[in-house]
Amino acid sequence: MKNIQILFKIKFIVLAMILIHSCSKDDPAEINQQEYISNVIMEIQSSDGSSQTIDWDVSEQNTESINLIANNDYTVEISFLNSSDPNDIENVTLEVIEEADEHQVFYDFADVSVNVSSASDDIKVGSRGVLIKSIWNASSTGSGISRVYLIHQPTNFDATTREAMGGFNDVAIDIPIVVTD
Amino acid sequence: MFRFFFQINCLFLSCLNLINAQSCFLSIDGKISDLHDGSQIIGALVKIEGTNFFSQTDFNGKYKINGLCPGNYELTIQHPLCETIKKKIKIETSLTSNFNLEHHINELEEIILSEKKIFKLRKSVQEVSFDISQINKYGSNTMVEALNYISGASVLKTGNGIAKPVIHGMYGSRVGIVTDNFRQYDQEWGPDHAPNIDFNSFETIQLIKGAAALKYGGDTPGGLIILSSSRKKQKDSLFGNSSLILESNGKGGKISSRLEKTYSNGFNINGQLTVKRFGDFHAPNYILSNTGLEEADFSIKLGKDKITHGWNLNYSNYNIETAILKSAHIGNIEDLFFALNSNEPRLIESFTYFINAPKQKGKHQKILFNYFKLFKNQTKLEFGYNFQANRRKEFDIRRGGRTEIPAIDLLLKTHNIAGSLSGINLNEWNFEFGINSLIQDNFSNPNTGIKRLIPDYLKYETGLYFLGNFQMNNSFLWEYGLRIDHIHIDAKKFYDLSVWEEKNYATQYSSFEMQNYGNQILTNPRLNYLNFSAQTGISSKINDHFKINASYILSQRAPNASELFSDGLHHSIAAIEYGSLSLQKEISHKLLFSFLKEEGNLIWSFEPFVSKSFNYIYIEPTGLKQTIRGAFPVWEYNATDVFLVGTDFSSSYNINSQLKFDFGISYTYAQDLLKNNPLILIPPLNTFQKLKFIPKRGKWDIEIVNHLNATQNRYPDSNFQFDLIQEGQIVSQPIDISTPPPGFQRLDIYLSINLKTNKNTKSQIRMIVQNLTNTEFRDYLNRMRFYSADLGRNLQIQLNFKY
Repeated sequence: MKNIQILFKIKFIVLAMILIHSCSKDDPAEINQQEYISNVIMEIQSSDGSSQTIDWDVSEQNTESINLIANNDYTVEISFLNSSDPNDIENVTLEVIEEADEHQVFYDFADVSVNVSSASDDIKVGSRGVLIKSIWNASSTGSGISRVYLIHQPTNFDATTREAMGGFNDVAIDIPIVVTD
Repeated sequence: MFRFFFQINCLFLSCLNLINAQSCFLSIDGKISDLHDGSQIIGALVKIEGTNFFSQTDFNGKYKINGLCPGNYELTIQHPLCETIKKKIKIETSLTSNFNLEHHINELEEIILSEKKIFKLRKSVQEVSFDISQINKYGSNTMVEALNYISGASVLKTGNGIAKPVIHGMYGSRVGIVTDNFRQYDQEWGPDHAPNIDFNSFETIQLIKGAAALKYGGDTPGGLIILSSSRKKQKDSLFGNSSLILESNGKGGKISSRLEKTYSNGFNINGQLTVKRFGDFHAPNYILSNTGLEEADFSIKLGKDKITHGWNLNYSNYNIETAILKSAHIGNIEDLFFALNSNEPRLIESFTYFINAPKQKGKHQKILFNYFKLFKNQTKLEFGYNFQANRRKEFDIRRGGRTEIPAIDLLLKTHNIAGSLSGINLNEWNFEFGINSLIQDNFSNPNTGIKRLIPDYLKYETGLYFLGNFQMNNSFLWEYGLRIDHIHIDAKKFYDLSVWEEKNYATQYSSFEMQNYGNQILTNPRLNYLNFSAQTGISSKINDHFKINASYILSQRAPNASELFSDGLHHSIAAIEYGSLSLQKEISHKLLFSFLKEEGNLIWSFEPFVSKSFNYIYIEPTGLKQTIRGAFPVWEYNATDVFLVGTDFSSSYNINSQLKFDFGISYTYAQDLLKNNPLILIPPLNTFQKLKFIPKRGKWDIEIVNHLNATQNRYPDSNFQFDLIQEGQIVSQPIDISTPPPGFQRLDIYLSINLKTNKNTKSQIRMIVQNLTNTEFRDYLNRMRFYSADLGRNLQIQLNFKY
């Protein structure tokens, strides 16, 4: 008798399992990526009025190079976009400006020598320019790489190398650069 | 009814037999066992009423009476600690008859609460078991410290607050944790995910190397850790214990308290509470900024525990918040390169109790119900239901005030039911069979604003097992077990269309496609796995001092959600991780031996193992991916065949009545057979030596422990190159994430003083110094080793009260 009872109990367990098995789940919602940066736009304006726009797009092959003439001042304005939803392009630069106290734009160059300083209408925190708007001046001709950084929470804003600056990269991209006479 | 007729029948027949009683050379023999745990009862008296025939059971619980004439007799079985039983018996030929005695109620609780309370799960596999209070002394991070004293077990850490067990070089989904008869279900796949359990709410911990305990699953080739509550006293009583631990490193501590009320009718209730709080820990030479933790747990257990039946209903609630070393939050491989090149963490701030991002939050809630019934023939029926809800949140440093929004937010709900029938005895044969089934629902909250690392999925699992053993005599036992599991995973996951096509999923798994969202595609992967696992082994007592166990274990494991679906950035090692839909089940064969010798003052055990796994799932770097944050190494899950061989040795020697010396050593060799490379994250050769002094009259004792970890020289090369701009030039630099840190030595001291209080309360003070010499070291199994040294000296004061 007891064995029969046990069998019944086991059957009950199996039945309960089958019942549990028969349920389903809703489709997951598509995620709207919030902090994502998909494009870095650089507007490079020469003092003579000519201009160049670089649009570095994460989903494309980016080969366009920055073209500068040596010993000329250029105003470079950088902006960051999130265009993952083409119907709702978000300007991330506004967020960076809002949190200017913990962000720093930084440029590093290989094989070319370019002087970068904060523009008079740059975003400033105290005397520090965030370099959203900067003045570039190349001192010699040649071609190389410009590495463009957006650094979050740097530990030393005044440092002159990326390593000494600390913090972590929100943006780090390489753009070819050509400096001519 | 049947029995009644049978007895009448016997009486009738007895007259006939007495008349024909001539050939008096028959015998009766058998074994007297404990009804409760099946152990032999020594010194029980078996008497035949009305005659002078009797026998007393020997050390194996066996009795034998010779020279009986055919006939009906009444047997009386007596033992001073047990209820006497009388049994009518008819003897026509010599026979074997086994009986079970039940202890007097007042004796019973002593038996239950004696050392026997930890029942071995599998007799042919060596297991290590502890009383939780015994291991609590090693500090507030109970499990971590405890495992350091078990040869063959180690701990994989992420900083100090996050630790998970490693057995035989395996961790994560390859090591299972069982609490109160049910497996723990949290996000166990991540190397930086600690099990969400408060060890203080259990009384015993058992560690089984290999997937031998098929009752709890056949998918843990590493092993199982089993936590359980002890059986309760059957008397009116109220007792409890409290402990307070204060530690200098982290300037924090732990308070835990537990109160239990039992009644003579078997009813019992207990409650338990643990609170932990630590600020930033420190390495010998600097503060580990943002490493504090906070924990608050409680549990309530209700139950009725009788000899023949019982039930319990438990609820537990576990909450933890752990900060992750801020210097370990890195943007890309350039940051990683700078971190690796720096001797100290890149960010050292002053001490604080604040827990900032990056951090993790875990909440685990569990409700369980267990019932058992023990029948007279020792058959035990058990069934239970268990619900677990695990919420895991990970916070990163984010822009635009989003730091307080988790970057990962997972809710895993598991319903689990189990039933088993054990102790089915047929002479020397013993059987158990059972079933368990679960449904799991994982929800990945989309409000994170970051692509899901793990998708939403439903998982169904049903397993059937059959276990048995053959106990030829007290010195030889053969054991075997079989298990079959069916696993069905029904996931809903967004893939980047480019990834979906690049991996050739578009053609291979086109039936999974649901809807195209432009850049992304919603898919519905439905995967099935059928796993067979088995164990067989022998346990043989060569003599009273020497015992050998040998066991073969087959385990099969279905890939977990992370291995199948991972899709995203892992910040702490700056890696983009991808799962693989095409992974098959992992099959492991393991041979496990143990040799145990106990003689005089010396006890030692030697436990070698060999294992070969096919389709062993691991993650490997496969290239670099350019993102807007710079280049990241891509790590993808893949399968290979691996070979592991290792050995654990531990010994304990009583030098004299005051001095005791313990020694343990273990080594594991692991090789990827297809790539001909060593496996990653295998513990190096490690050993501990422990010297304990107990003075003759004093109420105190002192222990000195030395841990020695060798350098791991066998590791795969996962390094990669990266272009750094240095002084206006591009320089290609290697990023070395492979080379293990040098070996280290660590010295700890434990001093315990038992204080005299009244007879109902006991109290104890302990003073502990860990890392006495304040040695700076990095542990290969600590993922924070890239960024900082391990913990510096720690002073602890513990106050323990029992009442």
